[in-house]
Amino acid sequence: MSSDTAIRFDKVSKIFSKGHRQYGTLRDEFISFFSKRKLTRSRNPNQFFAIKNLSFSIRKGESVGLYGPNGSGKSTLLRLVAKVITPTCGSIKVNGRIAPLIELGAGFHPDLNGFENIYMNGAILGMTIGEIKLKMDQIVEYSGLGDFMTTPVKKYSSGMNLRLGFSIAIHSDADIFLIDEILAVGDEEFKKRSFDSIKELLEKKKTLLIVSHDLKKLTKMTNKIVKLNKGSMLND
Amino acid sequence: MFNRLKNYKDLFFVFVWRELLIRYKQTAIGVLWALIQPLSMMALFVIVFGYVLNINTKGYPRSLFYFAGLVPWTFFSSSVNASINSLIDHRDLITKIYFPRELIIFSRISVFITDFIISAMLLAAMVFFCKTPFTLNFLWVIPLCVLLFLFTASVCLLFGTINVYYRDMRLASGFLLQVWFFSSPVFYSIDTISLKMKLFLFLNPLTYIIENFRRVLIEERGIVLWQFAIAAGFVMALFFVSYKIFIRLERSFADVI
Repeated sequence: MSSDTAIRFDKVSKIFSKGHRQYGTLRDEFISFFSKRKLTRSRNPNQFFAIKNLSFSIRKGESVGLYGPNGSGKSTLLRLVAKVITPTCGSIKVNGRIAPLIELGAGFHPDLNGFENIYMNGAILGMTIGEIKLKMDQIVEYSGLGDFMTTPVKKYSSGMNLRLGFSIAIHSDADIFLIDEILAVGDEEFKKRSFDSIKELLEKKKTLLIVSHDLKKLTKMTNKIVKLNKGSMLND
Repeated sequence: MFNRLKNYKDLFFVFVWRELLIRYKQTAIGVLWALIQPLSMMALFVIVFGYVLNINTKGYPRSLFYFAGLVPWTFFSSSVNASINSLIDHRDLITKIYFPRELIIFSRISVFITDFIISAMLLAAMVFFCKTPFTLNFLWVIPLCVLLFLFTASVCLLFGTINVYYRDMRLASGFLLQVWFFSSPVFYSIDTISLKMKLFLFLNPLTYIIENFRRVLIEERGIVLWQFAIAAGFVMALFFVSYKIFIRLERSFADVI
């Protein structure tokens, strides 16, 4: 992989099963644990391709928009990049630190207050404790939650959760940002501010991967738009 | 194996710090619980196993004898109990962000290590008040604790993983821990039972750990080296294998959890 590639997918497929369990019986699981090869299981009608034989690469500093109907594999793709799930076959190379803005505030603990949760979420996003301390004031100011920082997060409204989560993520010094639909929530003022921040990330030559249903907005934030359908890329 | 944790040192500290913070949030007496729990169990043992059943404690003070067994046992059982659900409790994180998942289990165990240290200090005070002469054999406690921590960590990794796939684990855990309790020498001494039974009980590494924990602390005896070597070898191998299994299965946690 050349040094200016940020993300590369090589013939990646991801199979999900419709049932609540991925594999069948204990026996199947035992066998699949010891078999090195994947995809040896017989084709099951309950399984479907969320991503099908996808190959592409994204250069550093590029901003790519993902567009497609529900169930086209956009979020699965982001989760594959974030290493949350592993591909059924194919390989993924990622070069750099990732900040998944997939569901902001996922790492918040309801009983902890704003400050404590900044440490928590910041560390999850790969910041060191020193870095978090250094950026604490900026994060608090950006979120605009000054008076509520000592309140337990369980008492926050969803808008406050979003503000704090976005603020932490945007201040994490990651190389690759994964952004999923988050701009759909929040009030007008915050939407505008987050839009500006994303523009700023672009200027800083960060790599962005943005999922949205809003094609107009997407064209403003990205240099390239990829259309997905049923797990495959449509040629544009 | 531990290389993958290199970049996650800070996250581990934050996890431990969070576990400690939330543990005593909204409690009235907070950290005192770390003492009340084993002490009240000890009182119960003195009444039930001591006065009612009159179980032989080899002439050592009953409270001391039971407490010395309860300190390692409480650490083991509460760690296992808390770890079984720990991965499920973090479903939100596991399905959204990547980090080595064992951090969840290790940080949960370290909370019980602090509890263990607090109750071990109380135990040390009790040993001192019972005028047990201090010998160098006391130092054996340190390697025994290491074995206890490693063994507990292996069981927690295994049970936590199984529970991600099969929630039967959570339902079985109550009964399982109860059986485990009776087959560990917490309220009896291994010296008082027949050889055949003894060999059977030594299949449980906790038997070795708890029995020797008491032996070096209150019985002023040392430990038998070759026995220690076997126990240490077994526990280390178990830790290695269970950690490998965990790493192998961790990749599909987000799919099945």
